[in-house]
Amino acid sequence: MRAPAYANFTVNAFQTRLAYRNAVWAGAFGDLVFMFARIAIWVSVYGAASGATVEGFSLPDMITYALLAGPVLYWDFSRLVNEVGNAVQTGDVAVYLLKPLHYPAYLLASHIGHFLFELLLIVLPIAVIVCLTYGLVPPVSPFHGLAFLAFWLLSFAMLFTLATLAGLLAFWLMTVFALEWFLMSIMTLLSGGLVPLWLFPDWLAAIAGHLPFAWVSYYPAAVYLGKLDPGQTLLYFAIGCVWLLALLTALGWLWAQARHRLIVQGG
Amino acid sequence: MSAIISASNVTKTFRQTKRLPGLGGAMASLFSRQFTEVHAVADISFAIAAGEAVGYLGPNGAGKSTMIKMMTGILVPSGGSLSVLGREPHSHRMTNAAEIGVVFGQRSQLWWDLPVRDSFALHRHIYDIPQARFADNLAFLATMLAMTDYLDRPVRQLSLGQRMRAEIAMALLHDPKILFLDEPTIGLDVVAKDAVRKFLAQINRERGTTIILTTHDLQDIEEICPRLIMVDDGRLLFDGELPRLRAALGSRRRLRLEFGSDPGPISLTTARLVIDEGLAKHFLLDSETTSILDVLTELGSGYDLKDVALEEPAIEEVIRTFYQQKPNLVTAP
Repeated sequence: MRAPAYANFTVNAFQTRLAYRNAVWAGAFGDLVFMFARIAIWVSVYGAASGATVEGFSLPDMITYALLAGPVLYWDFSRLVNEVGNAVQTGDVAVYLLKPLHYPAYLLASHIGHFLFELLLIVLPIAVIVCLTYGLVPPVSPFHGLAFLAFWLLSFAMLFTLATLAGLLAFWLMTVFALEWFLMSIMTLLSGGLVPLWLFPDWLAAIAGHLPFAWVSYYPAAVYLGKLDPGQTLLYFAIGCVWLLALLTALGWLWAQARHRLIVQGG
Repeated sequence: MSAIISASNVTKTFRQTKRLPGLGGAMASLFSRQFTEVHAVADISFAIAAGEAVGYLGPNGAGKSTMIKMMTGILVPSGGSLSVLGREPHSHRMTNAAEIGVVFGQRSQLWWDLPVRDSFALHRHIYDIPQARFADNLAFLATMLAMTDYLDRPVRQLSLGQRMRAEIAMALLHDPKILFLDEPTIGLDVVAKDAVRKFLAQINRERGTTIILTTHDLQDIEEICPRLIMVDDGRLLFDGELPRLRAALGSRRRLRLEFGSDPGPISLTTARLVIDEGLAKHFLLDSETTSILDVLTELGSGYDLKDVALEEPAIEEVIRTFYQQKPNLVTAP
């Protein structure tokens, strides 16, 4: 199978999601409620002093952070964990091995499709609603805006790799549910998706700031808001790339192990 | 013709963790692991030439699916050597996959949420099928398998029979040289089974696609596969044509003689009386060389013989006899 042909899986995943219209509405509504719950937390934190700043960030900054670190960057990876986990657990992954295609590449292509679908039909409407009700702030500078786009790409790749790794572990641990739950808890705390790292105690921020999870939500949103100066932005982008490379290597190795085990032991 | 699939002394051994009984056993197996070896395929050799249709037959757990998985490259043999289209299947998974078609009766390869047509279109991209060739094949397969009515329906809405026809069609879209089918008629009703069998026999005959099929259903073999490979407990029991299996078992054709008036007891040397219903008598012909004429000559013309019917043994009976006798049978060459 030639590389451009994988784009068909992207289109295909997008189409498949369109077939479940009710799930779209339910998902969008749930995300919107959650979004407003997060905003409500920041509104109450800032309290009556709506002009105040905490660590140099105003309420509109925090609302923007909540939108970026939440729906925009932190996409629903449980679909991916479950897909991979169930495929390796039930042995359905054999179906993919029967075809002349590369399974991880197939996963990437189809989950880009899911991502684009959610971006257009769920995240974008939520962003518009939040913008109209509470207002959003633009990136602090064109440099930070562009850097955010690069960080966004890195964030997608990072979350994709983490979720696929978790799914593949189901091969050995024989449970998908526990893995999904584990990744979800870790991510909630360490990605900065819920609370930005600058509000963490220093020691925890130092640890979380150097683990790959922070590149999923925290760094892209922090860059957008100008928390990192241009030098730091480039430095942390480079560190993120190194993490991604390490995780991809781990993924490649684990996939090779899984395939080996599958074809030697028959699952 | 040279062989496109050849297996020599192929074995496949799985290691299974031994589970000890009871709570104590469960605790113990947390710390120590004991393994039992399961020989799913043991020392099997055969060669299949291009254009053949071979039935791979055996009871549950005989190692049929394991063999298919090895030939399709998703399982590695533990011993022996296996070659499909001149290659070792598992080390050339991609190339092998592009030239074979596989249908698993119990595992769908169609995209569940998509219309059949869209699954086929994805398949076209995966296998890089030229547009014109794809259109021809799709038109041919859709007509042959009577799928035109439901090509635009999502797979999840199809009946099992419709889905299975779609699975088979998809496996053939890229003109595979070999088609592997693992229990393709399982769970289908009589009409659907018949349609699938007729189609497979035709594909084999007209397109020369080599077919390897595992099944429990002996009629699949009778209608599609001139050649039969029988396995049990991972071992090869028989490899050859169905008539030869019958012959190897000492024929056992059944002769039914019907008389106008009760002839009384009859005993013959050429045939053995098994059921005596008075007017109708059933004989078994134990020897392959005995002809019906020999029996009638021995019988003579002194009886009021009305009708003679000779029945070939049903395949089920042949197989049953075979499994019962297997300890004292020598594998046919």
